[in-house]
Amino acid sequence: MKQYKHLIKPYVIWAVLLLVIPLFLIALYAFTEEGNEVLTLSFTLENFAKFAEATYLNVILKSFKLGIITTVICLVLGYPLAFMISRYSEKVQNILIMLVTIPMWINLLLRTYAWMNLLADNGIINHILEYLGIGSISMMYTDFSVILGLVCNFMPFMIIPIHTSLSKMDRSLIEAAYDLGANKIQTFCKVIWQLSIPGVLNGIMMVFLMAISSFVIPKLLGGGQYMLIGNLIESQFISVGNWNFGSAISLILAVVILIFMGLMKRMDKQEKQDD
Amino acid sequence: MNNKKSIFSRFYVVLCLAFFYLPILVTMIFSFNSSKSLTKLTGFSLRWYRELLNNVEVSKAVYVSVTIAILATVISTVLGTITAIGLSKSRKVVRELVLNVNNLPILNPDIVTAISLMLLFSSLGMRKGYWTMLLAHIAFCTPYVITSVYPKVRSLDPNLANAAMDLGATPLQAMTKVILPMIKEGVFAGALLAFTMSFDDFVISYFVSGNGVKNISIVVYNMTKRINPTINALSTIVIVVIILVLVLANVLPVLLAKTKKRNRRVERGITILVVAALTVGLIRWGHVANGSHVLKIYNAGEYIDLGLLEKFEQEFDCTVIYETFESNEMMYTKLASGEEYDILVPSDYMIERLIKEEYLQALNWNKIPNAKNLMEEVMNKSYDPGNRYGCPYFWGTVGILYDTTVVDPEDLKDGWELLRNEKYKGNLYMYDSERDSFMIALKALGYSMNTTDESEIQEAYEWLIQQRDSMEPIYAGDDVIDNMISGNKALAVVYSGDASYIISENPQLDYLTPDQGTNIWTDAMVITKDCSEVDLAHEFINFMMDEENALSNTIEVGYTSPIESAYDEMIHGDYEGISAYIPEIDNPKSEFFGYQEPKIKQKYAELWTKVKAK
Repeated sequence: MKQYKHLIKPYVIWAVLLLVIPLFLIALYAFTEEGNEVLTLSFTLENFAKFAEATYLNVILKSFKLGIITTVICLVLGYPLAFMISRYSEKVQNILIMLVTIPMWINLLLRTYAWMNLLADNGIINHILEYLGIGSISMMYTDFSVILGLVCNFMPFMIIPIHTSLSKMDRSLIEAAYDLGANKIQTFCKVIWQLSIPGVLNGIMMVFLMAISSFVIPKLLGGGQYMLIGNLIESQFISVGNWNFGSAISLILAVVILIFMGLMKRMDKQEKQDD
Repeated sequence: MNNKKSIFSRFYVVLCLAFFYLPILVTMIFSFNSSKSLTKLTGFSLRWYRELLNNVEVSKAVYVSVTIAILATVISTVLGTITAIGLSKSRKVVRELVLNVNNLPILNPDIVTAISLMLLFSSLGMRKGYWTMLLAHIAFCTPYVITSVYPKVRSLDPNLANAAMDLGATPLQAMTKVILPMIKEGVFAGALLAFTMSFDDFVISYFVSGNGVKNISIVVYNMTKRINPTINALSTIVIVVIILVLVLANVLPVLLAKTKKRNRRVERGITILVVAALTVGLIRWGHVANGSHVLKIYNAGEYIDLGLLEKFEQEFDCTVIYETFESNEMMYTKLASGEEYDILVPSDYMIERLIKEEYLQALNWNKIPNAKNLMEEVMNKSYDPGNRYGCPYFWGTVGILYDTTVVDPEDLKDGWELLRNEKYKGNLYMYDSERDSFMIALKALGYSMNTTDESEIQEAYEWLIQQRDSMEPIYAGDDVIDNMISGNKALAVVYSGDASYIISENPQLDYLTPDQGTNIWTDAMVITKDCSEVDLAHEFINFMMDEENALSNTIEVGYTSPIESAYDEMIHGDYEGISAYIPEIDNPKSEFFGYQEPKIKQKYAELWTKVKAK
């Protein structure tokens, strides 16, 4: 169908204009000095040198730590849920997956505000704790509150891909494993887990990507002292007004993420080849 | 599976779902609360639903969110689907290249995509608003459509279309009659994903939108200052609508399957409805944008009685585009990036900067007869001698809000050093603003808050670091207001106006203006140089200086009015006994912020980032 080949032309133009050039602009800003006119560009590596300072390196380390913790928690909590859902009949599965999806439609900021009211020192949870005679606990503006917010918002993105690969799995494989004398643990490790790896990798990619770059949830649940890469970028663009440094940080973040994703993709491919 | 396990698994599923739905449930319950509190239930009422109906800002945002989501979904689905079909017939090199580029927005963090698009629009000199937002949404939605349609196209038998054409179908017919029906599922999945992404988006919209165009997320984000329960009412409605749609989506196909004819009719009906809604919507939008007189105002968040804007629109038969900023710096960045406004309401030091950099035009005081209502105390200050550019809007000081039941009156004598009293470790909020925080440290050390002396700045930086490590404060933004009303901590650094409002809601608190001196500030209305409605802008300033309007503004916001009669009315009425409403301005150690050279400003900004990023 040679005619159809031309159908990609509009999108190629579109992609160059709205996907490629904008990224090129980030790179341009990152490598140039502040207050540059287009005609008198002067290139510099200063924006990257600045990033090497301990404070900023700490910010990136903290973001990675938080991203990893969130991803691990989502996986540990989300995998069993996806697994259990996949054991129900198809009708129930559809309803349960729908129930997992609905919260994603409710504005993320609204859900985060609700958590603020739940976790505040004089908030709903502490009211209940006090009523029960346990006394109040300070939960807001801590690692706990930020991770809780991130997990609650991003866990569905872990559950859905895992569930997809689990539900696509051929049930007879599991039965075959039992027939061949494998116990439950063996069946899980050798068959179910192996077959769900594509979904797991997908989920890890999505959750990690969103957790590491989010800036609204840390800002609202962690307070101003909770500085992650996303917050640093936002502050450079919105309040400090140093677009060049902000672009340099964005570029570093993008490159790190793309490398990470490349590695995950390669793992995914190897998995498939091993099968 | 044995029964025991099934009980456990059921329990786990319920527990997880409860975790996801807890915040939503809280939102829904508190939308029926009779008071403004978001943590205590006081009774049932529909008050917030009524207010929602009258809230113009929210209804505009709903309109923007919905139309952008529909348009972006339709366009990106069409574009994505034909591209996916085209890709399956392209050469391998082309295909791989396009798919890889297509993956960029999916793999890149939202914030990077957002910034790249913002840089694009601003370097092309495009006016940020509805169209930039729509373009951005199409840009990030289309890749998701392609990724969900393309695998379906690939799994098709490549000979199908050929067969159709051999039988006399045109390429278009082959596509619509043969290919499309077979990839229908993928197209629907892609469209659904696109709609969800677009409707829920905050980060990208936040960076690429402007000129008063806000979607629901941006409005919600701007509400941090005083979370408004109307937004709970809105989200409850959204939840109910979504559940209805999902139920219908599951029930309808069953009903429709009975007769195919009806199916078509319904499909057509739905299409006509969508198209009609969009047309009406776009016409309305065009109408608003092209209205004869439009006044664009840029003010701090939650800093006006919104009812006054409507009143002004009616009185002067014009349209007001009202936008809000979080900080003076944010306002400046937007202005510097080419955004155009008619009226701004910045603080003193920022006005000084705007005057120096020639962003403003002089006021014509003859056109503001209500200026006679202004108090003398607020006029003719160092930032704008003779009030050539600015007409005062609100004024006040910065101080410490403290809980009288927790803080020992003896400790108050320490002034700013109270913030380093380890008795209150972990029990205080600092304000997340570089100038105010450095002001505190500099005043505590006995220096001028406008110092440019490197060693003094360094000392202040060390004061803040020491304070951070010994006191573990929280650097809060405007959420401090809600937190202090609920009595979460004993101490907080706040503006006097916020203090008055907070104390009026929680009388246990009181306000201290430290003896070491503080920041006296004035926020004033100024007119920009490229203002296109100079007369209307003066009318607006005059309107805000009207005694009655000024009173309703100060009642709503809680900040100190510069209008004599409104001020008197407040200190003898609603705010009687609230000392924070009466700014202490006699202390000679108190100052106004002055203009900072860019080098010094960057120095402060960098040090402040370091204080926060432990």
